[in-house]
Amino acid sequence: MKVSYKWLKDYIDIKQSPAELADALTEAGLEVEELIPQVPYFNGVIAGKVTEVAKHPNADKLSVCKVITSQNEKAEEHQVICGAPNVAEGQYIPFAAVGATLPKGFKIKKVKIRGVTSSGMICSKEELGLESSSEGIWAFDEPTPLGTDIYPLLKDKEDYILDIAVTPNRPDCLSIIGVAREIAALTGNALHLPDINVPDEKNKSAQDLIHIAIEDASGCHRYAARIISDVTIDESPTWIQKRLEAVGLRPINNVVDITNFVLMEMGHPLHAFDMDRLKGPEINVRSSSPGDTFTTLDDKERVLPENTVMICDNTQPVAIGGIMGGQNSEVTAATRNILLESAYFKPERIAVASKKLGLTSDASQRFERGADIENIITALNRAASLLAEYAHGKVLQGVVDEYPRKHPQKKVSFRPEQVNRLLGSSFEDSFIIDTLKRLQLNYKNGVVEVPSFRVDIAQEADLVEEVARLVNYSNLPSKQYTNIQYDVETYSKEEELSFLKTKLIELGMMEIVTNSMLKNLEAKPFYDGNLVHIMNPISDDMTTMRPSLIPGMLKTLAYNINRSNNDLKIFELGRVFLNYRVKDIPEQPYRLAVVMTGNRFEENWAAPGELIDFYDIKGILESFVEKIFLDNFQFILYDASNIFSANETIALQANEKIIGYCGRLNEAVTSHFDIDVPVYGFEIDVNSMLQYMRTDRRYQPVSRYPFSERDMAIVIDRRINAGDILKLVKEEGGHLLQRVKIFDVYRGDKIPEDKQSLAIRLRFQSNERTLSDSEVDAVFTRIVNKAKQKYNAYLRK
Amino acid sequence: MFEEVEKIKKAYFEDAKKVKTSDDVEKLRIKYLGRKGAVSSAFTMMEEVPNDKKPMLGKALNQLKTELENHFATLQQEFKASLNKRETIDLTLPGRKPNTGRKHPIAQVEDEIKTIFKGLGFVVEDGPEIENDFYNFEALNIPKSHPARDMQDTLYINDDIVLRTHTSPVQIRVMEKKQPPVRMIAPGRVYRRDTPDATHSPFFHQVEGLVVDKDISFADLKGVIEAFAHRMFGKDIKVRFRPSFFPFTEPSAEYDFNCVFCRGQGCRVCKQTGWIEISGAGMVHPNVFRAVGYDPEIYSGYAFGMGIDRIAMLKFDIDGIRTFFENDIRFLTQF
Ligand SMILES: [Zn+2]
Repeated sequence: MKVSYKWLKDYIDIKQSPAELADALTEAGLEVEELIPQVPYFNGVIAGKVTEVAKHPNADKLSVCKVITSQNEKAEEHQVICGAPNVAEGQYIPFAAVGATLPKGFKIKKVKIRGVTSSGMICSKEELGLESSSEGIWAFDEPTPLGTDIYPLLKDKEDYILDIAVTPNRPDCLSIIGVAREIAALTGNALHLPDINVPDEKNKSAQDLIHIAIEDASGCHRYAARIISDVTIDESPTWIQKRLEAVGLRPINNVVDITNFVLMEMGHPLHAFDMDRLKGPEINVRSSSPGDTFTTLDDKERVLPENTVMICDNTQPVAIGGIMGGQNSEVTAATRNILLESAYFKPERIAVASKKLGLTSDASQRFERGADIENIITALNRAASLLAEYAHGKVLQGVVDEYPRKHPQKKVSFRPEQVNRLLGSSFEDSFIIDTLKRLQLNYKNGVVEVPSFRVDIAQEADLVEEVARLVNYSNLPSKQYTNIQYDVETYSKEEELSFLKTKLIELGMMEIVTNSMLKNLEAKPFYDGNLVHIMNPISDDMTTMRPSLIPGMLKTLAYNINRSNNDLKIFELGRVFLNYRVKDIPEQPYRLAVVMTGNRFEENWAAPGELIDFYDIKGILESFVEKIFLDNFQFILYDASNIFSANETIALQANEKIIGYCGRLNEAVTSHFDIDVPVYGFEIDVNSMLQYMRTDRRYQPVSRYPFSERDMAIVIDRRINAGDILKLVKEEGGHLLQRVKIFDVYRGDKIPEDKQSLAIRLRFQSNERTLSDSEVDAVFTRIVNKAKQKYNAYLRK
Repeated sequence: MFEEVEKIKKAYFEDAKKVKTSDDVEKLRIKYLGRKGAVSSAFTMMEEVPNDKKPMLGKALNQLKTELENHFATLQQEFKASLNKRETIDLTLPGRKPNTGRKHPIAQVEDEIKTIFKGLGFVVEDGPEIENDFYNFEALNIPKSHPARDMQDTLYINDDIVLRTHTSPVQIRVMEKKQPPVRMIAPGRVYRRDTPDATHSPFFHQVEGLVVDKDISFADLKGVIEAFAHRMFGKDIKVRFRPSFFPFTEPSAEYDFNCVFCRGQGCRVCKQTGWIEISGAGMVHPNVFRAVGYDPEIYSGYAFGMGIDRIAMLKFDIDGIRTFFENDIRFLTQF
């Protein structure tokens, strides 16, 4: 809401400067977002005196002038060419010296005009941005000390606009008088409201010409009208135009301007109908039916949402109540007689209709927040009196006012001590009551009477805020200590999530944070179930909630690869969104995913670049599950994923349940994200991980006895997995087998073609004693025999 | 003649000081001790001196020769020793760096915020990002037609399910499941229907705070926000509260911190005001208490919000929120 400082002063004495006022309003909750001087910025313009005017030798319409800008006799005389006919010797004028900057950044330089040098410029008001066109230069009315900087002088004389962010609970401040009322409460200065005299025509009564019927009484609580006849449509007076322009409205004609003026002045929206275009005498307020259409005065035909409040004449709708008038009854240059409406519409009804229509107006914004139902007649009379004066209209006698159920005086029960309870303050009751009184909130016997314009005040807490506001929040106490409760839940999932992140960072992974909204096509391959779509997406790029972290991470890979950041090891921890349902929110489990591409280590003099392969991602996952103490887990072969390639994928099982996948991403998937290098990754369900993490970590004594090692080169079929052999070795090895390592895998001409040889190093150790060779050999033999029996394996010679 | 001997000696030691490479060593040898070197040449002077001076000159020349030879031998040895060392390992070559991971700057700031509030006795809570209209709006005293819904342009899944526009629904979920006292924060992701550009992101991160107990007042809220500002940005940072409007708090406030760049003096970032807007706060609205079955006559409480991304931007002097979510590795490695 744009508020003019000058206009405010019509209703209240303000001693503060515009900047001080802006601060005071901001501190009282009317946040002044910007203080805009109405004089556009310029500099280097100083007061000068014209000492000589002579004809330009080479141009009839130009004069060569001499200007001084200092009383000092030795001061420099500026020679200036001036084209204005009104320039004369002895004038005090605004002089833009060489180097000055005029509004819009125009810089003054020394120039030659038709062979004569001109150093500077005598300015008109137009050139200083003070009016839209000037006849000649601006000669000051009175002598001004030479050399005075002009800009600061003007800045203080001309208007300032306060751009106030009025919160939605304060529609009463959407007007100049509303803001003035707030200033009155803050400063204690008296409010001067305009005198309103409506020169009623005695012989003709509005009552005789129209009849108002409110059919939709829940949508329209009050409807009042006046008739103004014989108006002359013309431009409105300059002072009204200036006021409107100052607050950002475009002047149109006297009738429209006057309704807008009253809207801005008093905050109550009015509507003027061309009376002769209404099929009278009935004005009927009723709600729309399904399928109704209506053409608003912006020439748009609109389909009306059902249950929209409509203003109708005898035959048809003529306005959407509280939102916008109709083309069929609009005031035009030919309008002679006016029906002026001042009404009250129920906020919820206007809000819903405005939203469904996608149509907001100055009127709808005020009605949907709550207009002042008791201000209807004042606003109507104010406009009528202005129309009589500035549109030469005759105001017919009487207001036709349909107000079937008067709003009762609002009363809020109030206990002054609640102020101190909620604010932690210690104000006297009398101080609290006096403070409320400044806001026209009158306390008596436990009840505060709330004026009709304060639609926001409904309960005690609202009154507490009013006191706090007037006292100024900065003056309220602040407590430096508090009681802390010891008996609280100690389990915090957030700490566990943080723990998981830390473990991945320790493994060299970089955390990223990505958008959880994806393109439908990006999300689709990652989920077979019902995706969660956004009903009103911002764009086609953000229609679907991610069912997996991988697509967002692939986008990050592509972004980095495009910028030649090729070696990437990244992870993300966040929610995914699964299983859309109509009645309930979707599942939103946390996932953890890692994605890697490029070289294993940054290429370096000591390490040639080696590309990441499957064993890198598997190694990260193995280390990770070890570091988080995942219990009862195993890796299984998996080839049924849409995302991971069939022959380079494993699944992570915990407690027999698959909780994640790990491997190389399908080329079909990565190429969709414009990535043409191999990408490896894994994604795991976080809740399952947290569920199977071992939290009781008990110390295992480290053996004090020596260990013995045996190497085993075991030959098996190629189709048998190393994992199966390892499992067998561990099972048969029992508690004496302390560590197993595969240190070589051989396939080649030294063994049969369909075979492979695994070189396994076994370490045996006991916590109780030194093992004898025969004990170790026995276990070794047992393992070999079992492998022979189960997998037809034999030791390589 | 004796001066000549002194001259050779002086020249040798000066040259010896300048030796840097093995070539220099060899050149030094040739110049002074070589077959046609300065010392050999000096011996030819013997022929020119009178006989009575010959023994003295001979002695002087032999002394010179011995001294230079000895010195040269030492020099050569030292040089070889240092050469061997350098050829084995060049300590100035860069080392083998392991891959290093880092937390995302937003996560780092989130951790810092959590640490501060945990130290003030707060518990960390969590809630879903896709919420029922009830939790995101209704229970927070924002009915369907409330104009405050304009303030936060909402992304809808369907008419009753939304992408949460703030972390405040976590307040409701926590109060529904437990009785006061409550002392919690809830960090998390929120969504707005904002077209993305350098300074707007359709998703960002907030921390919600809620304290409910008997005798909690606005003075406690002021104290806790001030404590946070001091711990996060330093003791000299002042906090300013201004009245504002949120449907779920009454009285409501907007709070500002002294600009962290100019410490309140006024600069480009704070548009010369010395203040930077942080977020909203207030005393929990009695309607919210009623919605969760708390008695506002017995309990009172305060709630506050703050933007994690915004605080991270202030902390690291980042001017566009988009930078966080592009995840350029060259950006991430700066934190
Ligand atoms: Zn600053």
